[in-house]
Amino acid sequence: MYFAQLLILGLLSGAVLSLVAIGFTLVIGVGKIANFAHGAFVAAGMYLGYEAYVAWHISPYLTLLPALAFFGLVGWGMAEVFEQRGRKIGEVGELLVGLALLLLINGLLEALFTDNARSLTGVDIGSVAVTGISIPWTELVAAIFTFALAGGLHVVIRTSRWGRALRATAEDPVVAGLCGIRVPVTQRAAVTLSVVVAGLAGVIIAPFTVLTPDVGTTYLISAFAVVVLGGIGSTAGAVLAGLAIGVIDSMAAGYLSSYWTTLAPLLIIVGYLLARPGRATA
Amino acid sequence: MTRRAAALAVKYQGPLALAVLLVAGWFLAGAVNATTVTILVLALYYAIGGLSFNFLYGSLGIFSLAQPVFVAVGGYTSVYLYNTYGISPWLSLLIAPVIAAILALPVALVATRIGGGAVLTALVTLIVAEAATPLLIAIKPLGGAIGLYAKSPPRPTFSAMQYANGADFVRILLVINVLFLSLWLWWNRSRFGLFVTAIKDAPDAGESVGVPTARMRLAVFLIAAMLAAPAGVVYAQYNLLTSPDLFLGATALFQFIVVALVGGAARPWGALVGSLLITYLSQEVSDLSGSKPGAAPLTFAVVFVIMALIVPRGLSGTWERIAQRRRPSIDASLGPIAKRPGAVPGTPPPAAADGEDLTTRHGLTAS
Repeated sequence: MYFAQLLILGLLSGAVLSLVAIGFTLVIGVGKIANFAHGAFVAAGMYLGYEAYVAWHISPYLTLLPALAFFGLVGWGMAEVFEQRGRKIGEVGELLVGLALLLLINGLLEALFTDNARSLTGVDIGSVAVTGISIPWTELVAAIFTFALAGGLHVVIRTSRWGRALRATAEDPVVAGLCGIRVPVTQRAAVTLSVVVAGLAGVIIAPFTVLTPDVGTTYLISAFAVVVLGGIGSTAGAVLAGLAIGVIDSMAAGYLSSYWTTLAPLLIIVGYLLARPGRATA
Repeated sequence: MTRRAAALAVKYQGPLALAVLLVAGWFLAGAVNATTVTILVLALYYAIGGLSFNFLYGSLGIFSLAQPVFVAVGGYTSVYLYNTYGISPWLSLLIAPVIAAILALPVALVATRIGGGAVLTALVTLIVAEAATPLLIAIKPLGGAIGLYAKSPPRPTFSAMQYANGADFVRILLVINVLFLSLWLWWNRSRFGLFVTAIKDAPDAGESVGVPTARMRLAVFLIAAMLAAPAGVVYAQYNLLTSPDLFLGATALFQFIVVALVGGAARPWGALVGSLLITYLSQEVSDLSGSKPGAAPLTFAVVFVIMALIVPRGLSGTWERIAQRRRPSIDASLGPIAKRPGAVPGTPPPAAADGEDLTTRHGLTAS
């Protein structure tokens, strides 16, 4: 019974990790940028959903559409910055631009909302009871959104022309360019898509997550763990690895102690990197 | 001034500048008002953390976001040892680096071995920094999330390192800064400095002439951790507190990196200059905004964004570029023989620019 409960809680939190990691795997795989600000965009989405509900009483689910447009614009702008400034200096330049954006978003959120923890209460769309625990629909919606998004992206990437262009660019940007794929556009599209997914993920998880300005860093780390485990550029891998890490976290917290939740991703990454050095950088 | 004296002054410009800095800072600390003292304490504290980051990043390109952890080790060592065993924080200045090095060893083993460049190292060390807080909280004698308050002795003694006046802390931090800067200057001229240049610019060529690459990478990481720890000792005494939030909170986590990178890793003085500049700016912005809580972190962020977009090598990196352009190259003035490193006694080999391949420069072919 206890095990089943931990399993379900783990799967639910794992779905959130997957959702954040799907965008991250795209931006690393296709965009070829390890975007340090990825988690910060999740935080920005969370505060957007929070503010829309508190100030104008708009349900987070209705906020998704304007958020799509907003993060689309921000994402394209960010991709432009990465192309223009970051790439010229090489790998460290991208790292610097990513860190700068991370700090800027954290700083803005802290200046606007202070660093007190907040939570969005009031979005209640019922709950279902499974194995003796009641699961709010808000969490289930997030999980369903994850699977729908991952499935949709998987189909698009596997079957459409656009998806082929993405895969070709991920495989080899130079050859893809020789074949007539507009590599800069494709890479920017991937970066934009990742930012949009991160922002929407933030809006979706806002109703059941504690909001602090720096929460993005935590999501960045777990997304990194998920991507390392699931394979770079693979949405299916991101979903499976996210669920796995969610369950491991949940079991560790349930049977050992809560601080293992933070340590589990670290141990997974370090173990993997030491066991298979070089794989994660490919 | 005679030409000979002028030549000597140029030759010893580093030590001279440090001596001037030490003397001027020492007396300045007593002459300025309380607000300035606060700024100076913060700036000099960030400068040590930034220096430890820059030493590692500038030497070997290892981008460690875990330096705040080693600073925190200093803070916890000092307050815990003083409260429990009455060991003076002055002694902790020596003990803390040792503990930091021991704790840094596993991190160093991972960070120097995974390969994959700055981004991967940055992510792994960021995880270490994030994991440090829950670990610290889990260790019960260290006071959990609240941390430890330093006990005050019944009457002020030297050994407690507790001063009502911030100027004393400015002096302590200043001495540490100057000491570390001198150490770095010495290091650059020593064989280790040459090893590090070789590893950074041409690892294969270096290895082939016997540069102990793996050992040096490990050693530099541990030394950087040791440089970070004393900053925590003094800062904990200044606050009479050591806590996860003080050293590893959301804003504290990136401050060292910001001052280090804005100052630039190309020269030892980078972090100090960056730190003074940013701390002063953030204080001004904070005053203008009416002491809003988010003002200082936002200033750090904005300065960092400007740096990342416009001068990605930081102030000292840009300085170096300008200086190199103005100075006629040593190669051209001394003829072909000087092109081999070490060919002219007493001159260090010219440092390669970023990305330049030393193997081709010295007539070798890269495999």
